[in-house]
Amino acid sequence: MASQQTMTPGASLPPPRMTTGKAGWVRNNLFSSPTNGVTTVVVAVLTVYLAWLLVNWAFGTADWSVIPTLGGTLILGQYNSDSVCPSNDCFWRPQASLLIAVTYFGILWAVAATPLVRGVALTVAFASAAMALIPLPFDEMGMDVRLLLLANIPAVFIGRWLGRNTPVGSTRNLIIIAFVGFITVYFLLRGIEGVPGLYPVPSRFWGGLMLNILLAAGGITASLPIGILLALGRRSNLPVVKILCIGFIEFFRGVPLITLLFMSQTLVPLAFPRDFPLDEVTRAGIVITVFSSAYMAENIRGGLQALHRGQTEAARALGLPPWNTTTFITLPQALRNVVPAIVGQYISLFKDTTLVFIIGMLDILHMGNAFIGSNREFLANSRELFLFIALVFWVFNYGMSYVSRRVEHNLGVGQR
Amino acid sequence: MTDRPQRFLTYQGIPVWRHAVLIQWALQIVSTIMVVTLVLWFFSNVAFAISDRDIPFGWRFFSRDYGTPVPEHALPFNDSDDSYAYALLVAATNTVLLAVAGVILAIILGILIGIARISSNWLLSRLALVYVEFFRNVPLLVQLLFIFYFILILPPITETYNLLDTVYLNNAGLAIPQPTLDHGITQGLAWLTAAVAGIVIGIAVQRYLARREILTGKVSYPVATGFAVAVGTALIAWLVVWIMSGDTPMGWSTPEPDERFGRLEGGLRVRSGAIVMLIGLVIYTAAFIAEIVRAGIQSVGRGQTEAALAVGLTPMGVLRNITFPQALRVIIPPLISQCLNLTKNSSLAPAVGFADLTNVGITMTQTAPAINIFIVIMLAYLAMSLTWSAVGNFYNWRTRIVGA
Repeated sequence: MASQQTMTPGASLPPPRMTTGKAGWVRNNLFSSPTNGVTTVVVAVLTVYLAWLLVNWAFGTADWSVIPTLGGTLILGQYNSDSVCPSNDCFWRPQASLLIAVTYFGILWAVAATPLVRGVALTVAFASAAMALIPLPFDEMGMDVRLLLLANIPAVFIGRWLGRNTPVGSTRNLIIIAFVGFITVYFLLRGIEGVPGLYPVPSRFWGGLMLNILLAAGGITASLPIGILLALGRRSNLPVVKILCIGFIEFFRGVPLITLLFMSQTLVPLAFPRDFPLDEVTRAGIVITVFSSAYMAENIRGGLQALHRGQTEAARALGLPPWNTTTFITLPQALRNVVPAIVGQYISLFKDTTLVFIIGMLDILHMGNAFIGSNREFLANSRELFLFIALVFWVFNYGMSYVSRRVEHNLGVGQR
Repeated sequence: MTDRPQRFLTYQGIPVWRHAVLIQWALQIVSTIMVVTLVLWFFSNVAFAISDRDIPFGWRFFSRDYGTPVPEHALPFNDSDDSYAYALLVAATNTVLLAVAGVILAIILGILIGIARISSNWLLSRLALVYVEFFRNVPLLVQLLFIFYFILILPPITETYNLLDTVYLNNAGLAIPQPTLDHGITQGLAWLTAAVAGIVIGIAVQRYLARREILTGKVSYPVATGFAVAVGTALIAWLVVWIMSGDTPMGWSTPEPDERFGRLEGGLRVRSGAIVMLIGLVIYTAAFIAEIVRAGIQSVGRGQTEAALAVGLTPMGVLRNITFPQALRVIIPPLISQCLNLTKNSSLAPAVGFADLTNVGITMTQTAPAINIFIVIMLAYLAMSLTWSAVGNFYNWRTRIVGA
């Protein structure tokens, strides 16, 4: 007789470990193993403690009044001070330069009509306009100045209209406009002897963030083409050109920028006649550009080297002459592949503009440092001041690296 | 065949202005002439201006007495009768010491942050990302000035921070204990030699055991054994020297506050400039190194990690034995370039008052020809850069993929 066996179900298993949803995410990313869990707890406690210290300091003990006390000098240096500009009506000239730059961004938006360029142009315009809302004392930043800053918003749209409806909107004209724009801004800021409203302001009084941005803008515009030429020269099969380019690149990469800047203040002026000297800012700008283009050349050379030989061979087989092979086949692909490196070099260039502080130019760091140096009662607030300056640079540089990531994504680097 | 049209037979070759070889030669000659003209124009103008405007120029200052103190000096420096040339050498030593210390610390910190960046722990990797994104995007000079003022507003020496009466921190700098050779140079050097030998033997033991472990599978804890051998040798040597000479091989100098003069005596006293430079350079460069390490580790194929996990290695073992060694080939070349950058960035020292090559050079320009001084300084930095390039090239040559 077969025994009657009843199937009794065992204790039910626990539900499967959750791997989805919020709890699953926490388990997978924070508590996947005992060590991981301990790490999470330790790191979390430390982070919260540090964040608490920081918040406590920033909103409690910190005294941010040092920044409004410095006010406009952080942005413009001594540009509008009594000794430099007798009737204090030079304020509009940097603003007008900004308007020119914003209009240029508008033209750029019309030429390269992508959401990214639109975003950049609008951000630049609205950020410039937002400076009108900075709560500086009214007498230091008058209503006219504030209105001129607000004009940046229409300016970007005017630029876009110009780019769409007039012949300025082509790639070649963009380069010409950039060049003309730089010269206009230069003479606008420097002023012209005898012209009413354009009281001459020697470039050694240009300062603040304006100086950093001017040097960076010049360097960014010029270092890419020079870098491309150097990179092509270094890969050229003409031995003389190759040796010259290698020597140039390796020399400028081998010495620190600060020694070059010192040479630009001691040696370079000697090469120019006394009655036709090159001013300090131009000299510093040239040195920064040359230094940066040596690095740029190496980045671009990296991109050229990474290209497959087949690209050149196919182009040559189709009958393209060497020069066209470079401009239409190899260079565009190489540049596309090294976008992050190029933007990284731009960021580094912008950071390097602070080095002019050591050779005594009045950039944003100099204004901050000199202020602390001559007002010892603010010594305890130096942290707030330099943290603020650090954040200013961070915003610009992080913005650039964000744009670079988007450009890379839009160009499909690494996906084709 | 004989019917070939006449025009093909009378082909005259490419016209001269499109002849490839001729164009190349013409280009080279033209570019040479342009560069030579530019250089000649520049230097003849400079030479003319030097004589015309009475600009000081010349190399004789080198052997004159410098007569100005160099605040930090690892080499002995006597400011009353040491020459400009020797002062530059002392300053160059400061730069090299700063660069070496900075490179070592930056690599350690950078690797830690780089590994944290790819950690499976979300919180840790985010924190590492915040670190990298912040310090990479803020100019080094701003960071240096921030730290400089941070130290400047510490209490003065009279109210110095004090850790266990051995470490002192105040607005003049940091003072830490330092081993000294004042118990007799012979026994000190003897012990140091033995300790170094112990380290060498320890490394050799570790390598031998690791190799045997791979070949035979015998578990022998190579790293722990090697470490024990090194430490043991040093300890035994210490005891032997102590027993033989009746005194410890090396002395120990701790900083002590000197109440009368309001300053610290003894120990290793580092002025604030050096601390600022070291902290700033390490924090800044580590952010770049972390990204290099992350990219390097991520460049190793996923299959490597999966295979290693499948054969039973622990996650840490995978990183140490499988991924990291392979990533090194990708990591080292950009790492060397960061080391070079750190060395060049040490030239920001004038902003915080550390007596490096650039800073001493700037001070010298007040009493000696500026152009000559900066030519020497640039050559010195070029030499350092070339040294780093040589290290990089040597590594590339050693780790080249043979036959590829």
